[in-house]
Amino acid sequence: MNLQKAHNPILSILKYTLADEIQHKSFIVLFLICAAFVFLTRGCYNDNFVMNGQVLNAQAIGWFVSKASFHVIAAAVTLIAALLSMRIFRRDRDEGIQSCILAKPIARWQYVAAKTLGLWMLSLLFMLVLHSIILFITLLNTKTAIFSFLFASLLCSSNLLFVILAVLFLSLLLPEVIAFLCILGVSIVSYIGDGIYAASHSQMAQAMVHQPQGYEQSLTWWQVVYYLWPKLSAVQQWATALISGETFRWTGLVHPLVNVLLYCLLMAFLLFMRFEREDIV
Amino acid sequence: MSNTVIEFNNVTKRYGSLTAVDAVTLSVAQGEYFALLGPNGAGKTTLVKMMLDFTRPTSGTISVNGISSTNTACRNAIGYLAENHRMPPHLSGRQYLQRCAELCGFSRREAAEQCDRSIERVGMREKEHSKASSYSKGMIQRFGLASALVGNAKLLILDEPTAGLDPIGIREMRLLLESLKGQGMTILLSSHLLSEVEKICDTAAIINKGKLMVKDSISSIIRDGETLEAVFVRLVKGLT
Ligand SMILES: Nc1ncnc2c1ncn2[C@@H]1O[C@H](COP(=O)(O)OP(=O)(O)OP(=O)(O)O)[C@@H](O)[C@H]1O
Ligand SMILES: [Mg+2]
Repeated sequence: MNLQKAHNPILSILKYTLADEIQHKSFIVLFLICAAFVFLTRGCYNDNFVMNGQVLNAQAIGWFVSKASFHVIAAAVTLIAALLSMRIFRRDRDEGIQSCILAKPIARWQYVAAKTLGLWMLSLLFMLVLHSIILFITLLNTKTAIFSFLFASLLCSSNLLFVILAVLFLSLLLPEVIAFLCILGVSIVSYIGDGIYAASHSQMAQAMVHQPQGYEQSLTWWQVVYYLWPKLSAVQQWATALISGETFRWTGLVHPLVNVLLYCLLMAFLLFMRFEREDIV
Repeated sequence: MSNTVIEFNNVTKRYGSLTAVDAVTLSVAQGEYFALLGPNGAGKTTLVKMMLDFTRPTSGTISVNGISSTNTACRNAIGYLAENHRMPPHLSGRQYLQRCAELCGFSRREAAEQCDRSIERVGMREKEHSKASSYSKGMIQRFGLASALVGNAKLLILDEPTAGLDPIGIREMRLLLESLKGQGMTILLSSHLLSEVEKICDTAAIINKGKLMVKDSISSIIRDGETLEAVFVRLVKGLT
């Protein structure tokens, strides 16, 4: 047989995954809706707003809107990545793609790696395009180009990877919708947890609650859970802090990015182990 | 004809309390046309799936071309047609075959040539550019066979290849398989069409409730002017 020297099945499967996802009408519609929403923020840059009797200039508003949009897009794309991932194994099974691929000399880990990479690249592209729109709008309105936006976007892609790996793994064990809801729950808890933590450590809260000395040292169980929880929200906050050059103080045992990457490793391990034992039909 | 291509060594597969395959030992030689026969639920598909490592045996070992079935390398040059073959509905038959060939390691151009050849072989030239969602069951089955042929396979594993085919399709399938004979191709096929099996295959194994009842050349299985069907019914009914 005259086979290609450097035939890499991962690249081929990745290519097919991207092609299959992009041709889905629901994907295109979802993308257009998101892009339209992002374009709507354009109106926020035009006028000067009055807040507490002070006139805020367009520049300040622009910055604020840009950062808020960054957060919303990153969170929304995380949700979309979970949605895209939850049906992928079932669809491949139902359409005979799994049995077609795995009847060839292709290892299961190669198939799973290609699927994961494909989904990750697709959702990253989705997020980068939406973030680029914001970048473009900010540039037009405030004449400042915040290219660190795209770098921050790349950092947030670790969240996408975690969500994809986790949903893929859980979709092998649970009904897909439950798998999706579980990861949605994990993400929501991460955002709410950070919100509560920030509120409880704000100066006002500190002043209201007279804490006895030594209180900070004793860890309660929910603090332990909070420190160990996947830090999806903190990664986003870190990324936005990088955009505006603010200092970012993190809580937990390790840096949020390290936390999320460690969770990615764990999920990847579980996913590969579980898929090895999967019956292919 | 002495080189062993497939070897099942005391293979058992249990699903909970159900024993789908029960201590089966058998081998298929190179160039042999081998039929796996048995009633519904006998364990034919389970045997096939264990060969491809789609499911692992509870005990026993399987080797293909001398390589353990758990090693991906053993699936080099295997063409597989699944029981109730399916295709992604948004792809045309040609796009599907192109992917299959590329996954076998062919370059885009070589893959296109492979597609042309196998589309011609299964007589699907007219429909090659239509979406799979518009295909009938028999057409999907034909493209499935084409996909098994696409990678220059030396071993074909066909799980009920005639399912859904019309009488002409069944005849064409037989002629196609016969035309591959003598090219060093080994075929393992599971089928319920005993008259076709009698015409094409050299050897057959009859399994029932996961147990191997008989494995011999078709001419030895059919004795005293009995048909394969009569032997099949006698063996299967004899147990129940
Ligand atoms: N994933 C599974 N879980 C539980 N039982 C299974 C599974 N797959 C197969 N079985 C059982 O194993 C037995 C053998 O099934 P198999 O599909 O191998 O039969 P078959 O010989 O191919 O039948 P048919 O001629 O109908 O295709 C059946 O009793 C079936 O119910
Ligand atoms: Mg079967």
